[in-house]
Amino acid sequence: MSHEYVPEIATDRDGKQHEVQGWQDDFYGGKLGFWLFMFTEVLMFGAMFMALSYYNTLHPQEFLDASASLNRLLGGINTVILLISALTMGLGLLKMRTGDVKGAKLMIWVTMLLAVAFLVIKGFEWRAEYHHGVFLMHDKLLADSSFPLGEKLFFGLYFTMTGLHGFHIIIGIGLMLWLLKRINAEKVRPDHHILHWNIALYWDIVHLIWVFVFPYYYMIGAGGATGGH
Amino acid sequence: MDTNNIDYKKEQSRFFKVLIGLLLLTAVTFIQPHLFLTEANFAAQMFIAVLKAWLIIMYYMHLKGETLITWMAGFSLFIVFTFFAIVIGVDVQHFQFKDESHITESAIPLHEAGHESHSTHSAH
Repeated sequence: MSHEYVPEIATDRDGKQHEVQGWQDDFYGGKLGFWLFMFTEVLMFGAMFMALSYYNTLHPQEFLDASASLNRLLGGINTVILLISALTMGLGLLKMRTGDVKGAKLMIWVTMLLAVAFLVIKGFEWRAEYHHGVFLMHDKLLADSSFPLGEKLFFGLYFTMTGLHGFHIIIGIGLMLWLLKRINAEKVRPDHHILHWNIALYWDIVHLIWVFVFPYYYMIGAGGATGGH
Repeated sequence: MDTNNIDYKKEQSRFFKVLIGLLLLTAVTFIQPHLFLTEANFAAQMFIAVLKAWLIIMYYMHLKGETLITWMAGFSLFIVFTFFAIVIGVDVQHFQFKDESHITESAIPLHEAGHESHSTHSAH
């Protein structure tokens, strides 16, 4: 399928033809548009954090108890994995901008591997929670179970938010595969890298969301915490 | 707009410095609940998260020097936090139906509640 640029022609009232300015190289416009998209992500996760905070103020002690029961080691490893993946993604973009296309592709592959590692660890974590009877619409989280309501709300939102975040990771892997395809086709190159720039931004927002998800779920109940609410 | 006039070594060095900063802050995230501000754990954790977010936004997301996008980001966050303040600060404080609402009351029917123990759940 060809993607040759065909200029758009506009005709003025005197019958003169003018070539419409192409938008393909509008780097700033492309970046600005992607920032607008990221604000919608902030609004979506912001609404979830608001629900979380709302229930937290109603059930402070049960939230601390539920948080204390999460696996901080696995959550911490995933935090470091995402942190390093943000670095590799950023370095990949840097390599692309300086003309090292091969290095850029290598960094994208490393980022994807780290993303898969994140999902695998998250999968082990969810599996362990499932075996403890804590999972959406399962055992302790069923409406008629005797599990404290605050903990049900905590875990309900925990699975929803980490699940949605995980879904974003999967989308990110898909975007990176698409980016590699576009680089191989030389549609993304050192002098035309807005797609790479925006996918790197996407990966950063996924990382940024985790920066708040991790402490809110895993750390508020650490160290026998009782204060702060 | 040409964004490729960059000093690779300098940019790479900045990326690694930010990584070290983020790793140190992550270490503080783990240490804090056991060592300091233990009575304000939640606030301390969120403060560390904000510091990490600032580093990511400014350096990894290249917002440093982007006036228009910075204003847009600031305005959007202001809107989000305004709603937070209204819902958490005002709405929750004046919640009138604590005794009736399903989000504050146990889901167990009252006649069963007396027979079931809430201590049956176990931490992982």
